[in-house]
Amino acid sequence: MLLFPVWGSILFCLLTGFLPVVGMEPAGGARSGSEPTPDPDPDPLLSPSASNCSQLTLKLEFSTKVVEHEYIVAFTGYFSARARSHYISSAIRNTRDQDLEWHIVPRENPASDFPSDFELVHIRQASPSSLLTLEDHPYIKRVTPQRKVFRTLKYFPCKFALRGTQSWQSSRPFRRTSLSLGSGFWHATGRHSSRRLLRAIPRQVAQILQADVLWQMGHTGSGVKVAVFDTGLSEKHPHFKNVKERTNWTNEKTLDDGLGHGTFVAGVIASMRECQGFAPDSELHIFRVFTNNQVSYTSWFLDAFNYAILKKIDVLNLSIGGPDFMDHPFVDKVWELTANRVIMVSAIGNDGPLYGTLNNPADQMDVIGVGGIDFEDNIARFSSRGMTTWELPGGYGRVKPDIVTYGSGVRGSGMKEGCRSLSGTSVASPVVAGAVTLLASTVLNRELVNPASMKQALIASARRLPGVNMFEQGHGKLDLIRAYQILNSYRPQASLSPSYIDLTECPYMWPYCSQPIYYGGMPTIVNVTILNGMGVTGRIVDKPIWQPYLPQNGDHIDVAVSYSPVLWPWAGYLAVSISVAKKAASWEGIAQGHVMVTVASPAENDSEVGGELTSTVKLPIKVKIVPTPPRSKRVLWDQYHNLRYPPGYFPRDNLRMKNDPLDWNGDHIHTNFRDMYQHLRSMGYFVEVLGAPITCFDASQYGAFTNTRTECGERRRPDITLSMFLVKAQQWWMPDTGGANVPALNDLISVWGMAFGDGLYEGDFTLADHDMYYASGCSIARFPEDGIVIAKNLKDQGLEVLKQETAVVEGVPILGLYQTPSEGGGRIALYGDSNCIDDSHRQKDCFWLLDALLQYTSYSMTPPSLSHSHSRVAPPAGTDRLLPQRLEGNHLYRYSKVLEAHLGDPKPRPLPACPHLSWAKPQPVNETAPSNLWKHQKLLSVDLDKVALPNVRAYRPQVRPLSPGESGAWDIPGGIMPGHYNQEVGQTIPVFAFLGAMVVLSFFVVQLTKAKNKPKRRKPRVKRPTYLQQQQQTTMGKNPTV
Amino acid sequence: MMVLRRLLRKRWVLGVVFGLSLIYFLTSTLKQEERTIRDRTLLEVRDSDHRIPWKVRFNLGNSSRQIIQCRNSIQGKTLLTDELGYVCERKDLLVNGCCNVNVPSTRQYICKSCLANGCCSIYEYCVSCCLQPDKQPLLEHFLNRAAEGFQNLFTAVEDHFELCLAKCRTSSQSVQHENTYRNPQAKYCYGESPPELLPV
Repeated sequence: MLLFPVWGSILFCLLTGFLPVVGMEPAGGARSGSEPTPDPDPDPLLSPSASNCSQLTLKLEFSTKVVEHEYIVAFTGYFSARARSHYISSAIRNTRDQDLEWHIVPRENPASDFPSDFELVHIRQASPSSLLTLEDHPYIKRVTPQRKVFRTLKYFPCKFALRGTQSWQSSRPFRRTSLSLGSGFWHATGRHSSRRLLRAIPRQVAQILQADVLWQMGHTGSGVKVAVFDTGLSEKHPHFKNVKERTNWTNEKTLDDGLGHGTFVAGVIASMRECQGFAPDSELHIFRVFTNNQVSYTSWFLDAFNYAILKKIDVLNLSIGGPDFMDHPFVDKVWELTANRVIMVSAIGNDGPLYGTLNNPADQMDVIGVGGIDFEDNIARFSSRGMTTWELPGGYGRVKPDIVTYGSGVRGSGMKEGCRSLSGTSVASPVVAGAVTLLASTVLNRELVNPASMKQALIASARRLPGVNMFEQGHGKLDLIRAYQILNSYRPQASLSPSYIDLTECPYMWPYCSQPIYYGGMPTIVNVTILNGMGVTGRIVDKPIWQPYLPQNGDHIDVAVSYSPVLWPWAGYLAVSISVAKKAASWEGIAQGHVMVTVASPAENDSEVGGELTSTVKLPIKVKIVPTPPRSKRVLWDQYHNLRYPPGYFPRDNLRMKNDPLDWNGDHIHTNFRDMYQHLRSMGYFVEVLGAPITCFDASQYGAFTNTRTECGERRRPDITLSMFLVKAQQWWMPDTGGANVPALNDLISVWGMAFGDGLYEGDFTLADHDMYYASGCSIARFPEDGIVIAKNLKDQGLEVLKQETAVVEGVPILGLYQTPSEGGGRIALYGDSNCIDDSHRQKDCFWLLDALLQYTSYSMTPPSLSHSHSRVAPPAGTDRLLPQRLEGNHLYRYSKVLEAHLGDPKPRPLPACPHLSWAKPQPVNETAPSNLWKHQKLLSVDLDKVALPNVRAYRPQVRPLSPGESGAWDIPGGIMPGHYNQEVGQTIPVFAFLGAMVVLSFFVVQLTKAKNKPKRRKPRVKRPTYLQQQQQTTMGKNPTV
Repeated sequence: MMVLRRLLRKRWVLGVVFGLSLIYFLTSTLKQEERTIRDRTLLEVRDSDHRIPWKVRFNLGNSSRQIIQCRNSIQGKTLLTDELGYVCERKDLLVNGCCNVNVPSTRQYICKSCLANGCCSIYEYCVSCCLQPDKQPLLEHFLNRAAEGFQNLFTAVEDHFELCLAKCRTSSQSVQHENTYRNPQAKYCYGESPPELLPV
């Protein structure tokens, strides 16, 4: 069926570069005349988004201001302070204004003792013409006004300018994108003319991570096969000595890198000089899966991955990602890959600082997902974060990224030669891939190295960053040396990530620590990942055991555990649901206990058939319990009815966000509604999440039921006909429903005589003295007569999208408040747009309105600013217009949890049974746990002290910088396999050339000797003056050979 | 004229001429070399009679079993196929990587879950079925006209077992619209044709 939504092509867009320049450009980067300036005109579809965002963010990042009366006088050379002062005074004397008041602003710094090429001068009432005449002085190069640079806070959302001209063919549906920062990447060549603050000087990332310690021990990655899936690599790049094979999987007939991305990534892993990589002796396998136009397809990946499996690749770096974890062929293939012992390292994504932006495949349990930090150990702004969203709505996301490492301003190989610096998680990923390669080569028994054991070693050794939660930093920052120690004392075992649950620990355990639990609340779910280093498949023996600590009130909580039936490949989940026992309904305090899990795997090296390896792990749990808050303080968030991408194409609520049109952040209070959650928490509300049908909760317990962007939610947009034409898939892509599903919503609220209309509106307005922006919302078409309805003048966006006309519609009803007439009846508030509480692409927040509506629904207090507003209008009867209907032939039922396919119209599905948690039978123990779980919880049962670093030998194996004058292509081994498609990089070319040169040289030598021995045929030149002749003879004597 | 002639006779002039021509020679040789490599590696159409080097072992029953060490399909969640075509559960795998043939559940050349078009729903059975000696002509036929995208893969395959491992994996032929399987039920194919497209 052709209408099935397709997002086949993967366009590796210049990711909406969030911050192109946050001081990661090397100081020398500005003079990078030697660096290649690759500027392949990026895909025209993509460039607008990238450039728009980056420009805007640039403004936000820092601003400059001219300092009045101060000027920088630049000289043509370096002069002493006295000479400079002399030149300036003579230059000013030459100007026509004789009454210029000026003095030199002293610069008190250590450099002031040395000659300088500029001076800071304070000149009053300087006219532009007099400044120009200053430049007439022979030693003065130019005069520029002094600027002051302000660096603004790091956490600015990337706000987008309104762009009406861009078509709907935009970048987001092409899912898999390269994860280097688009603009940071291209601007890294020093094309920026504006000033930027260099917060850190890029250094050799391998040395910072102490890779040289392992190099000196003789480990350089030899014997480890690394695959780089990227944009290719040119054949004779001087940085690489062991490129085993290059293959092309794209439709372009080249193996070379036309972008520089693949070269950079390969350089971070295996460069042997200049900007050194981690494992220079590793065997590089270059897979070109991205074209120079930044296009890629899932099918190319499938074939390339198959080849990687056949070639028994050990480590695979994938610096790309995309939002759709529902691409089953791709996800299955990644599982297959790790099941074949390929250690997969992937970038977590560059969509930060928004939560819920993790990219696939880095968000898979079997993949090492890497986030980025800068050299000052701050989480890089661009690094994607937040929990995984696969598990929603019923469960809760897993902790990702796994680890973080340097990803901002890292130096790596330039496209043809030299080094460049680059930022993005696609830089952090090869840092880890290189480290993994180096680590793998240190292990004597390679059988022990597998995707799980490597990940266990990395996360157990990682250094936690202070003040950052686990959904941003994972287990912390990569520590290569500790990972080496752990890996070299490793015994196959299972471990947990996170390794303990301390719901009181802030900020690491945010958001758990932000809200205590109480009796009657929705259970708190912690999704723990089990890593099984014992084998690719495993199982949990019997059932996990819950053991509350009696001295520490462990009996005040109930725990239910669900887990993967089979741990494959190398990992599985362990979901722990915690809720408060009835006896603690009005109790306040801390409760502790632990869950014991035993994991078993078939033993492969056991002589006995059917033998099993087992490993038991303990998961300590610590929670804070408070008495149940009053009903009016409790808000329930409906996650169950949320529809999103993947799997279906559900446009965002704000149709202006054309460069990121899909709604893919999970719509959870801990992802893109995080700000709203924090606002509600700060207002004293307790927010719970309902991951089950509405029938599964007791409404009498809650003050408000918040239901956004749902099938029957509170925010809605008509199903206007938006279509996307996918360039690559050659198919029209029809939205399965609008950002909110109006017809379904109308079904729900029709019982109260309410309905939303089919208009689509947008515009700025003021409500109760607050500036508001209505971002693609819809209007209220029908409302009960005794309700309060607020209307505003808005632009008709439906008309604009369909016909490219602009029309302002007066009095669009957007907000409705209604008290149901029955006694003790509830209250309903309707607002036509939710963009103002969504973190993604929010333009103006409206938390004040949310507060007001919650006040209304909880306490029946109507804010006077709303009830007595000038904008109040009579509720629309809505009988004159047809209400929106579902599009003919839409496929909503495929993704909907409440509709099912049916001949004719989709019919509601029968409601599923409410999820029933089977509480684990407690086995109380008389134990106490330490107050700090983190410090005491061993991540792996490995005795670290045993693995001391061996004596460092003074030997640096073939890792050396290129000395000046040294040829670039001196040690490329291997030969060309004739007739082989896969080009093996060979050294035949230099040999051929050398032989040819020798032949020519000998020919010339023979000729010359012949000419010398032959008698001169010409008659002697009598006319020639003798002194010249003599001179010639002497010259010949001095220079006998050429 | 005389000056020119005299100049030409000077050795350093000759030297410069020689040097320049040498440089020109070297660069042109290098360029040509590069071009030929490029032409060679980017050959679109392969010679039609190219065949994958076969090292097919015919394993006729247990008697001919001489292998000490077996390769197997490694990845399976519960099942594994060894290079002799036996499918067994993970727990029945011997230390040498072969399936324990004495366990009744271990079966050789089993085509369970495979359809008539050569597509199976379980990878391990696909490999086992593909290892049947009588599948050789089918595989040879496939190899001789393998699609361009598969040349990398299938020219690197060395024997029957590797070929079956590689052939049964899902590939670009298994998907439609890049993000869905043509047939999610039977997606592992040893045969020539891609999985049948299931109507959505």
